[in-house]
Amino acid sequence: MTTRCQALLGTFVEISLDQDDDISVIDDAFDTIKQVQDLMSFHNPLSELSAINQQLHLTPITIHPWTSQILKIAQKIHKQSNGLFNCGIGHRLVAAGLLPKHLDLSQYQFGGIEDIAFITPELISSSKPLCLDLGGIAKGFAVDRAVEVLLLNGVKSGCVNAGGDLRAFGSSSRPVHIRNPTSPSELIEIGNIQNGAIATSSLYFSKRAHKHSHIINPLAKSESDIHADFVESFTIVADQCVYADALTKVFALAKNHDHPCFKHFSAQAIRIDA
Amino acid sequence: MMSIPIIAQAKIYTSIEQAQKILFPNKQLSKTPIIITDDLQETMRRASSIRHPFQGDRIWKTADGSWLIVDEVVGKHEMITYAVGISPNGSVLGVEILEYVESYGYEVAEAQWRKQFIGKSATDPIKLNQDIQNIGGATLSCKHLSDGVKRVTVLFEAALKAK
Repeated sequence: MTTRCQALLGTFVEISLDQDDDISVIDDAFDTIKQVQDLMSFHNPLSELSAINQQLHLTPITIHPWTSQILKIAQKIHKQSNGLFNCGIGHRLVAAGLLPKHLDLSQYQFGGIEDIAFITPELISSSKPLCLDLGGIAKGFAVDRAVEVLLLNGVKSGCVNAGGDLRAFGSSSRPVHIRNPTSPSELIEIGNIQNGAIATSSLYFSKRAHKHSHIINPLAKSESDIHADFVESFTIVADQCVYADALTKVFALAKNHDHPCFKHFSAQAIRIDA
Repeated sequence: MMSIPIIAQAKIYTSIEQAQKILFPNKQLSKTPIIITDDLQETMRRASSIRHPFQGDRIWKTADGSWLIVDEVVGKHEMITYAVGISPNGSVLGVEILEYVESYGYEVAEAQWRKQFIGKSATDPIKLNQDIQNIGGATLSCKHLSDGVKRVTVLFEAALKAK
């Protein structure tokens, strides 16, 4: 087995191959993740996401097929979650100091992911200004793209793990541990995963750093409801990591194992109470 | 379903030799240790805000003037050993993580948490520093690492470029 690790997407990304494949395919997989990062980073003012946030209300923009794909998935989850998942909350994170400030927030009334219209599959427009942050979905999406690259290069089994958003592929089954939310250095083995993805949302690291919660309630009616506060952790198991990643936010806000959205995306929800 | 908790985590990804092959495939590297003067140490500290002193004995050079530097950053919650490849003109060619050790001192200091070890012996399934794969959980910040890479690029500018 070979495991390599690089810092990408603001976290540590591990790629493991179970057999002794040509390890240069790992470079291709890291490059793919880097490409997702370059397209979708909020921090990088030159990313495609930043262009969307700066200009989409002024002019239609041609986007990369991957950006198109992630925006469509984000819209689908927004719809199925009745608005609990919405990437149009970037301004909330900026206001809380969790994301860099590229524009003057006070000038705008921002729309949401639902305001993006597809003129063609890769040409989009919006009547409202947007402040999209793909932080709640892009890591999972990047993991899926990396897995695709490994499979295309003939890798039979392995795992890609972007800071806990992970997807295993191939015949081998591997144990998965989740941090104990009350003592995050303690790990709880929750079972094995084979050909599937898992992701977890929790606030233990942001609480430790005394930061505002990064889980934003897009439907908040009052200021105090904007940053969701909780002590448990919320885990989703799904076929693809993009769904696991995004649906943890729905779970953390809904706090309901049986939210119809999970069934729709064939996902399972696991809560670890503090 | 719940099993006895185990403690996160020390991971070894690649050795220095493997990192050399990843960052400089098919190139010969010769070890080129540097004496880090107090002035240089201070310059690097100021530029990167890393206090932990830099060790000058894990530096390699290729025939065409590229460099490989191994360093570590020690944070409040983790220690990361990493390798940086630098081209002759000073651009970063790649960064590979060699080791990641998550500290548990912070929780160990809490009496409540420590209690669970009372009465446990070496045969009990509590394993410190065990290599554990596949941890779900919130994102670990890699801000420290970018500070580390910054100090390596400062080292290049101040001490390696002229060599």
